[in-house]
Amino acid sequence: MSVFDKYLTGWRLRTSRPSFEVGREVDIFIAESNGTSGRAYIGDTELVVEGAGPETIEKQVRVRVTEFDETTASGRGEFVEVVGESSYAE
Amino acid sequence: MSGNGATSPGEDPSDQFIGGDNDEGPRVEFYGGRGMSAFPIAFFIVWAIVQTALWRIGDTGGLIVGILVGLIIGMFFVRGNWKTYANTIFEGMTQPVAVTAIVAWIWAGMFAQLLQDGGFVGGLVWLADAAGVGATLFPAITFVLAAVFTTGIGTGYGSSVAFVGLFFPAGVLLGANPVLLFGAILSGAIFGDNLAPVSDTTIVSAVTQDADIGGVVASRFKYVIVAAVVAFAGYIVAGSAMDGLEISGEAQTVFLESSEAIGLVHVIPMLAVIGAAVAGRHIVEAISWGIVIAIAFNLIFGLASLGDIVMFNAPSDAPFAGPMESLPVLTIVDSADAVGVTGSLMSGVSGFFELSILVLLIIGAAQIMIRGGAFEVLLNWSLENLATNVRNAELTMVATAALINSIITINTAAEVAIGPYISKIGERFNLNGYRRANILDGQTAAMGYIFPWSGGVLAGYGAMQNLPGEYEWLDQSMLVTPIDVVPFVFQGWLLVAVFVIAALTGFGREYITDRETEEVARV
Repeated sequence: MSVFDKYLTGWRLRTSRPSFEVGREVDIFIAESNGTSGRAYIGDTELVVEGAGPETIEKQVRVRVTEFDETTASGRGEFVEVVGESSYAE
Repeated sequence: MSGNGATSPGEDPSDQFIGGDNDEGPRVEFYGGRGMSAFPIAFFIVWAIVQTALWRIGDTGGLIVGILVGLIIGMFFVRGNWKTYANTIFEGMTQPVAVTAIVAWIWAGMFAQLLQDGGFVGGLVWLADAAGVGATLFPAITFVLAAVFTTGIGTGYGSSVAFVGLFFPAGVLLGANPVLLFGAILSGAIFGDNLAPVSDTTIVSAVTQDADIGGVVASRFKYVIVAAVVAFAGYIVAGSAMDGLEISGEAQTVFLESSEAIGLVHVIPMLAVIGAAVAGRHIVEAISWGIVIAIAFNLIFGLASLGDIVMFNAPSDAPFAGPMESLPVLTIVDSADAVGVTGSLMSGVSGFFELSILVLLIIGAAQIMIRGGAFEVLLNWSLENLATNVRNAELTMVATAALINSIITINTAAEVAIGPYISKIGERFNLNGYRRANILDGQTAAMGYIFPWSGGVLAGYGAMQNLPGEYEWLDQSMLVTPIDVVPFVFQGWLLVAVFVIAALTGFGREYITDRETEEVARV
């Protein structure tokens, strides 16, 4: 991205419920886990992430989207790997 | 953690999910709960409001007594060993951010005084007169120049000091409203503090949110410029609606006649400071270059003598004073009251001695609030109860960052303290690092220059105290009481408003899935 583009990015009203195509891989933070699957919020969109256990809470993980319903802004995905830490982690 | 097994789509598993918890117990415990650790700061704020707003006493020494009394009373509420409380005050006072602010004030104070004594104010008045800039436009133009200067040097505190010393008297003489003028200077400082790549708050906002500084600056431009355009228009409108002070026509004429264009030569040291800062030099080095060039110009162009820059006033009975009296920096004085060191360098720093102590004590009290847990109680409560969806989460980020910055005098310290919480709330909704850094720094820059106890206001007010001694026509009654400027810091209020609107509408919102910050991408 050029420097000029960086200044022009974000001059728009972004939805609170972004959509994701099935098959896309996204790197997102897991908010909560019930032990075997996790839940992530991207804005008000919810993704249930299978295989994201308690150890992934507040970690950034790669998720492959497997189902997505635009009308409810919710879907499911598979945990691929942990890719990053929170910026406030010690 | 609960272990209820996998959840199938369609179920509502909210109750089964619990979030992470990295709560650490408070280190200083208080009778009355963790909230009591906010007592010293709360006591100080009430004291500051009563003293400066209700009774109109803008005395920094009085504020020092206020925070000291707050810290002493607070100690009696400590459960267990009081030594921890005392050590926490030290821990806060020795933070680099507090010292950085003091260094910026002192260096900028010397620099501004050299320019002032070298006739820069006269040069500005001459230029404004020649260009036909009247009282109406002067605050708006001051806002733009302060914004450019701060964006160049990165320290809003330093700019507040320099511009109060230089543009404030010029504007007041030309008939601009003093309160509006002070507001315009603070607004310019906010603009630069927020946007400058070398500003410490910009750096802290980027680092705490794992974002690169270049990307943070580029992405925040949209918020800053929207606020600034409205603020600029606001200063023009208010400039035409608000009257200036009555300066006697004679004093004005005398000053105008003595105003010479040569003082404008000091634009060069100002540009040198900006240039050095932009080239990545440390702010101490950058302003030191400005000081050296300003001294050289004062001497070369005969704008000030060596004795005007620094003068030792020795008593007549000093053993070595007589033989060395021919030195241009030494004068023998008869009166004991006149003994001392004077000159631009001295008067430049003298306004900041009390202020420095005050700021260290406030930062100490702020550390008590952080270590005592009041800070955490507030933030955890807001995280659990307010951040229920992405819009509310962003509004919560704006509100908590604004609140903490309104309370803690040095905005960089407030930003360091609240950075992790902004990151925690934002990451929960996968807001990207740029958006989080921008929300954080918008409130940090704005709230650091609005209230009477804000570092930027204190710095500007400190610099203002020197002015009545500098100009015959300027007396104490023409100075601005800090509480009066609060509504006129347009850039600050507008910046907060822009972020509230941005949270409500999604303007500028970016998710981690839209664009990763370069810092994260590199990892």
